Amino acid sequence: MTDDPYYLQGRIERRLAEDPATAELGVRVAVHGGAVFLTGQVASEERRRHVVAAATEEAGGLEVHDDLGITAADAPTGAEELR
Amino acid sequence: MIRVAAVGDVHLGGDACGHLRPALEGLPQVADVLLLAGDLTRHGTVDEAECVAAEFRDLGVPVVAVLGNHDYHSDQQDEITKVLTEAGLTVLEGDSTVLPVGERRLAVAGVKGFGLGFAGRSCSDFGEPENRAFAGHGKQVAARLAGALDGLAGQADRVVALTHYSPVADTLLGEPPEIYAFLGNYLLAEAIDANRVDLAIHGHAHAGTEKGVTAGGTRVRNVAQPVLRRAYAVYEL
Repeated sequence: MTDDPYYLQGRIERRLAEDPATAELGVRVAVHGGAVFLTGQVASEERRRHVVAAATEEAGGLEVHDDLGITAADAPTGAEELR
Repeated sequence: MIRVAAVGDVHLGGDACGHLRPALEGLPQVADVLLLAGDLTRHGTVDEAECVAAEFRDLGVPVVAVLGNHDYHSDQQDEITKVLTEAGLTVLEGDSTVLPVGERRLAVAGVKGFGLGFAGRSCSDFGEPENRAFAGHGKQVAARLAGALDGLAGQADRVVALTHYSPVADTLLGEPPEIYAFLGNYLLAEAIDANRVDLAIHGHAHAGTEKGVTAGGTRVRNVAQPVLRRAYAVYEL
């Protein structure tokens, strides 16, 4: 293992996808300026906490910024007419 | 007019169970059918399928689904299909259904689909067995969609192709281009364009965009819930 941010990004991405506690393939991971940034949408607050916890475990002490969102589940306000 | 509601990638299970139900209660007022574009669960377990069944049963409109890659993760796809079918959902995999909507008929052909990529940047059925297995499955699922669509236009007023993986690259815009081969498969679009299809619905690409079109001019919509940013979209055909 190396401390290179590139491989750290790969390790966190793989952990988020392959760890049953997260199983998230749609979360973006970026490592910039000595910190980890998480973006994307997850289905619930609990899943958000699990993602941040897993990323923090992998991050080796780097700060983890949670820029995740919870997927909106409101009814639509209109329809698209396809002709 | 036939009103088609659609959403994919709802990834239900655990504390997400019940999230969509409030928005679904008024569905019969705005749609004639609900299509689910796969990744209904997170880990592909029967427990999560029970949550999906509770979410989408007894909505007052027919619900037609395909499964997605997450729904295969625990090798329980057959059990998941059984749970959903027992709840009254129709689960398609290489087949079709024709639904009466008033005096008109809506046909839906469905397959999970798979990756492969797009013309000029696709994986070939060649080389190591692992590579041949990947590309071979991509070819096989497209052939299944072609089979499901064959002759379907003659049985209905409107035809929808329902997949989890994308038939076009347009609706992947926003995803890293390097992973397109894992997100979609142009042979799905070729199967669509070889038939009269009025709308192609897919999910899978959470960071993609909603609207695209096939080479042959069929409208494509990516209904992954993170893309829609709402419980479902409605398309009037």
